[in-house]
Amino acid sequence: MGNTFTKQGVAFETFASIGKGLVRTTGRQRVVELFVLGGVFLLLVPFLGTHRVTDFAIFCIFALSFDLLYGYMGRLSFGHLLYVGVGAYATALSLQYLTSNPLLAIGLGIVAACLAGMLAGSAAVRATGACFALINLAFNRVGWFLVMSPLKDITGGENGLSVRNLRFSYFDFQNPTFRFGFVLASLLVAFLLLRVLTSSPYGILLRSIKEDERRVRFLGYNTYFYKWLTFVIAASVAGFAGALTALNYAYVNPNTLDVHANGGVIFACLIGGAGRLYGAVLGGIIYMVITNLLPVYFQRWELLLGISLLLIVFRFRGGIWGNLETLYRRLAVHENTDRSLEGGRPR
Amino acid sequence: MSLLTTNRLTKRFGGLVAVNDVNLQIEENETLGIIGPNGSGKTTLFNLLTGFFSPTAGRVILQGKDVTRLSPEERVGMGMVRTFQLVSVFGSLRVWENLVPCVTWRNNEYRSLWKFMTSLVGDTWADSFEALRLVGLENYADAVTANLSYGDKRLLEIALALSLKPKLLLLDEPFSGLSDVEIAKVLSLLQSIKGKVTIGIIEHKISTIVDFVDRLCVMNEGRIICEGKPHEVLKDSLVNECYWGKQETVSGFPV
Ligand SMILES: Nc1ncnc2c1ncn2[C@@H]1O[C@H](COP(=O)(O)OP(=O)(O)O)[C@@H](O)[C@H]1O
Ligand SMILES: [Mg+2]
Repeated sequence: MGNTFTKQGVAFETFASIGKGLVRTTGRQRVVELFVLGGVFLLLVPFLGTHRVTDFAIFCIFALSFDLLYGYMGRLSFGHLLYVGVGAYATALSLQYLTSNPLLAIGLGIVAACLAGMLAGSAAVRATGACFALINLAFNRVGWFLVMSPLKDITGGENGLSVRNLRFSYFDFQNPTFRFGFVLASLLVAFLLLRVLTSSPYGILLRSIKEDERRVRFLGYNTYFYKWLTFVIAASVAGFAGALTALNYAYVNPNTLDVHANGGVIFACLIGGAGRLYGAVLGGIIYMVITNLLPVYFQRWELLLGISLLLIVFRFRGGIWGNLETLYRRLAVHENTDRSLEGGRPR
Repeated sequence: MSLLTTNRLTKRFGGLVAVNDVNLQIEENETLGIIGPNGSGKTTLFNLLTGFFSPTAGRVILQGKDVTRLSPEERVGMGMVRTFQLVSVFGSLRVWENLVPCVTWRNNEYRSLWKFMTSLVGDTWADSFEALRLVGLENYADAVTANLSYGDKRLLEIALALSLKPKLLLLDEPFSGLSDVEIAKVLSLLQSIKGKVTIGIIEHKISTIVDFVDRLCVMNEGRIICEGKPHEVLKDSLVNECYWGKQETVSGFPV
């Protein structure tokens, strides 16, 4: 199969070497990565408008956090939106009662999501498989219920909560361009954070846990701790996305933690390629394009979601990014014959 | 004092007593072979020693400390490392990446969470590569583990175990499913560490390990029925009867 590529000459070789660069990241390449990522979102602006792209970028942050949990550690959660909700409400409430500084409010939003993750995580990570997914679903429901009834007086229940104090010295969250810039920078920060984490020994440990947690325990690691830690990090990053949502819309309502919306992020990770950061971003963009733009052209656009999900599950398990990687690898092997057997220094 | 002692160790699965009242001792730096027919409880015994199961009754004492209630990872922390009968490595990772958690563990780099989570994986490459060279897998360092042959996966699993710098290495049928050439490879590797590390090795072909081990235990139906110097054990009439007397007639029985 790979033979066909060699005949195509220089163009394909360039393609292969760019691909290899993207697949195998070194410290220096991280900077390039961030530029490419930022560039992609800037390029989207003329086609989709600032507001939409801001939305997309926030969703991508959420998708990245989910990918750490699901793609890297192999724990599928049906309740990850809870932490988006916690982040969003905590930010909005901080701006209402505690501070007039949106940056501080974002920080508090992240801390709140982190604390919620610590609590829920300590129960959830003891379970695996369907149990893990459903425990998270239950926590998400509890959160939704709290917002809707017992805490109605401060959260505004169904009516939601408007966010005040959007302006603070140079930080003006009423200005769409500023919002876009801020969110994009946030995405890059989140991406960099996860890139660092996943290309460390800890990242390998997560992938080992995904494959065989029991075996990892026999290598001397207390896997509960690392699963919990990962859960908390994923929750905190999701909380970050939530805080940005609150500031972006200047409004929070219970839909931010709607249990039924959890499917979206799972879909995004799968379509892009679970366990790959680029996959999460790509999947996030594609999912948002499908859900935001397709309804304009097709009435039954959900059908497309369904069909593509089936295609992924049965034919392209690696998602779009995973399959691109496989393609690149094939090319790379041709470029540098049998590299895999030479044991060259990777990454 | 023995490195490892078990005290009336027993494990029941429903009505079946898989390990029955076993008192085992492993001395420091000796090489102990455990043989016995299939289903005689060898693997279960290892599972009890390493914390995979908790025993129905009895105690496990490692270096004078009762470890019966400790978790597997705590026992690894005390130097007890095992391999599995069904070879167990991480197929989705690259070969050298399998060793990353092991070398960071051994070098204690995982203790500084910051360093563990922010340093580059590539920094452990040298150590991982070294561990692979020990078992002769350095040429496959960058290959995807799932594509390795069965024998190479075994070698990799042994490399994982050795890279943890164990005091007590428990190997569960490290030769099963291997060709003669591969067996020779594993044996010569083990020969090179013999005497420096305490080794417990399960095998059902006596001939493979009879010249390798210092002492041999024979298990049958959950009990240790005989133990001693390998060649003496082979002469024991009880062993002949219980273990392979019945099967002697089977052609090609591995003696
Ligand atoms: N997890 C388990 N649950 C129930 N029975 C088991 C389990 N593991 C082993 N056994 C039983 O215990 C007995 C001993 O098995 P095992 O220790 O694997 O034998 P060996 O390794 O000597 O071939 C067998 O009869 C087996 O069926
Ligand atoms: Mg066995």
